[in-house]
Amino acid sequence: MTSVVAIGLVLVTSLFIGIYGVRAARSTSDFLVASRRVSPNWNALAIAGEYLSAASVLGLAGLLLKNGLGTMWYAVGFTAGYVAVVALVAGPMRRSGAYTVPDFAEYRLGAPRLRKLCGCVVLVIMLLYLVPQFKGAGVVLSLVSGTPYWVGVVLAGLVVSGSIAAGGMRAATYVQAFHYVVKLIFIAVPAIYLVVHAGPETRAEALHPEWGTHFPQNTSVEFTVETRFSLDEPVTVTDVSGTEVGLPAGEHTVSEGTEYVFPEGAPIPHPEGLPELGSDRWSTPLLDVGGYPLFETWSTMLAITLGCMGLPHVIMRFHTSPTAHVARRVAVGVIALLGVFYLFPVVYGLLGRVLTPQLVLFQGTDTVAVVLPSHAVSGSIGTLLTALVAAGAFGAFLSTSSGLLLALAGGLSHDLFQGSVPRLRLAVVVGTCVSVMLALPAQMTDINMLVVWAFTVAASTFCPLLVLGIWWRRLTLPGAASGLIVGAVTATGAVGWSILFPAPEGWVTVLLGQPAAWTIPLAFFTMMIVSRFTRTPEWAEHAVLRLHSP
Amino acid sequence: MRQVHALGVDLKDGMHARGANSAVRRLRRLLAVDGVILADLDGPVVSHGKKPNSEEVDSLLGQVFEYGGGARGDLPNGTAVYVSPLAVADELSGALVAVGDPVEADVDAAASLVSDYLDHAALRRVRSRIAAADLRTLRAQISPHFVHNSLAVISALVHTDPDRARHLLSDFADYLRYGFSEKGDYATVSDELEAVQTYLELQRARFHDRLDITVRMAPEVLPVAIPFLVVQPIVENAVRHGLERKEGRGHVSVSGFGEGPLCVIEIEDDGIGMHPDLARSLLAGTGPEPRSVGLANVDQRLRAVYGPEYGLVIETALGEGTKVTVRVPRFTRGVVAQ
Repeated sequence: MTSVVAIGLVLVTSLFIGIYGVRAARSTSDFLVASRRVSPNWNALAIAGEYLSAASVLGLAGLLLKNGLGTMWYAVGFTAGYVAVVALVAGPMRRSGAYTVPDFAEYRLGAPRLRKLCGCVVLVIMLLYLVPQFKGAGVVLSLVSGTPYWVGVVLAGLVVSGSIAAGGMRAATYVQAFHYVVKLIFIAVPAIYLVVHAGPETRAEALHPEWGTHFPQNTSVEFTVETRFSLDEPVTVTDVSGTEVGLPAGEHTVSEGTEYVFPEGAPIPHPEGLPELGSDRWSTPLLDVGGYPLFETWSTMLAITLGCMGLPHVIMRFHTSPTAHVARRVAVGVIALLGVFYLFPVVYGLLGRVLTPQLVLFQGTDTVAVVLPSHAVSGSIGTLLTALVAAGAFGAFLSTSSGLLLALAGGLSHDLFQGSVPRLRLAVVVGTCVSVMLALPAQMTDINMLVVWAFTVAASTFCPLLVLGIWWRRLTLPGAASGLIVGAVTATGAVGWSILFPAPEGWVTVLLGQPAAWTIPLAFFTMMIVSRFTRTPEWAEHAVLRLHSP
Repeated sequence: MRQVHALGVDLKDGMHARGANSAVRRLRRLLAVDGVILADLDGPVVSHGKKPNSEEVDSLLGQVFEYGGGARGDLPNGTAVYVSPLAVADELSGALVAVGDPVEADVDAAASLVSDYLDHAALRRVRSRIAAADLRTLRAQISPHFVHNSLAVISALVHTDPDRARHLLSDFADYLRYGFSEKGDYATVSDELEAVQTYLELQRARFHDRLDITVRMAPEVLPVAIPFLVVQPIVENAVRHGLERKEGRGHVSVSGFGEGPLCVIEIEDDGIGMHPDLARSLLAGTGPEPRSVGLANVDQRLRAVYGPEYGLVIETALGEGTKVTVRVPRFTRGVVAQ
């Protein structure tokens, strides 16, 4: 209940800021204040606020618990992406005056058809990015209110589209800046409290994964999906009726809906296909899903770092900066803000391994940040901390998904069809509906996996378009178009295939699951080779020059 | 039909533009002849296909330009050539030459079609010149009345409140500079707001402070480029026609925010309002003369830059105040603030 109230408060406050937070000036002298541009600090806060999504708050901690320390690379990638943005696109993008990537494509290559193609790619990326947001919101809402998952997702859809319709994004800069503060405080305060409260033993255990993982107390585990796991030593568990069931060492298959109570001190079973909690594979700081950790880590890092610059809602925020120089300063500020924030999901992941290890048994790791406080701290303080984290996670959902939905609706109404305001509103509704529909079957898919998919597509399409468009004057329209198509099809297809048809470990699985290492170069080469064989438009020189002249 | 339509598109910028090459190619296909030449009064401009040597063409062109009507000739190698004059706005301005057994009636029809397209191209050029001239009118339209009133107010304040007088004077200077500036066609929303501010400051002094102002601007839209002098004329209209004749205090509010890819600016006053029919005629440019120039011009320029769906929206009724909404895309190719 407390959590529902906290979420409600965050929602109401951000609506209030969104609608009324636009600086109101009552006298003419304030006119100048109102017409002055937003300061780089506010802008950096806003960008960080929009960028830190449910993936950052929930997904990262969850994946750390599930897949091991290598997951921290994601946080590195999410932050490092901004270095690429600062170095390669922030300044020129600002000089072009383009608001979105399709705008940039039209500016640079002057073709309405390419604009439509870019609009389609925006649609794909935004949907891939929105689905995990709605999943996160659904998980949080269903956890705190005790409703089924689908109710949470539908509710989240209603809330976010309602808040956009009510004008909650009119003062987007202030809303997003507010959300960064909410996220940071609501995630950091419980994290610090938990670290202090946990005591020296738990802290030491969290930092030494090799000590092995045991249930910290009598723990009831409800298997919401059929699970196969193995045990190193026999364990006696209690089922719902209170009878004791002896589980010998070895393989077990537990059917959906079974509920076991594991006794305190019992070793954690190892679910099939996941690295054993605390094992070498878990604690090696590399991403290891398919058996080729170094390649996987590189590929994922490429996807995230380069994908960041291709995310439509990231690029459009630099438009607010008055000059290219300020745009770069803003991006540097964002790096600092993100760096601070990403310390905390790691805390939840590490403590989660010690205090709530049972989550790995039923695909529930995405909830670790919300579940952990109430497991670690009892009584009203625990409830309060849960409420804080839930509200922070919901804030993360709200800010990112409103930004994404507006970018998606903008792309739908402005790039693909001739835009008008009713169409824009309709597009928000359509975008929400599609995302909710797609989020419903995604309950068992990790938030972070979907987010990385979106980043991979962005890195294989818009990253080559922007980088070559800004730095290579011989890029042509057919080159850009063919590169976009090749990148979008291979990246979307490969990851989609590997999610829909999970395959055993091996090179093929790795190449399909983490395709960035080959799809990005492929898109770059396609653009360059096709451009070589086609005629450079005559204004290219002029267009590129303006991107770089101070 | 499609070929004829495409011909119109090719010739939309006239005979000397890039489309002319594909226009002659199309004409040659349409007339089923060996070669086609488009010429203006100085001689051939573009050609496609078989081309007789220039003396023969020049002599035929000279014949047409001198006596009017079409002229038929045979080349030394026996090929027939037919030249039909092009008359743009009833004035001889060139000729269409068809080489290789042309059907004269067809060539004449094609020539009159091309003449029409060239006429359209000329009209299009004139229209954009008029829009530019309108903008100049609007810039120069800082009315003598306003200048007189402002200076009178400032001079009245010089003794009682010299500080304010000084401020107003510098505002007045800023306003004149913005209004007379020749710096290009686009300004940022934030520049435009500064002009509005100086204007309102002067008006407030005249109204003896019975004018209230509210500004709400989302910072995202401040760097957006919009056509020069879009907001200011609307505010001026609100003050002069909405509030000047109203008893008691008046209130103007200017607010701007982003709506997805669009930038929205709303100017609202609680003045005397107007009849919706009057508003409609103002936008159509058929309203009473002194009022119609500002709004109609802004509306026209917005449509010209962004397309027909981005005109002004006026919501008003008698006694109910007026709300004018400007809604433009944040980015449009070619729209860049100087």
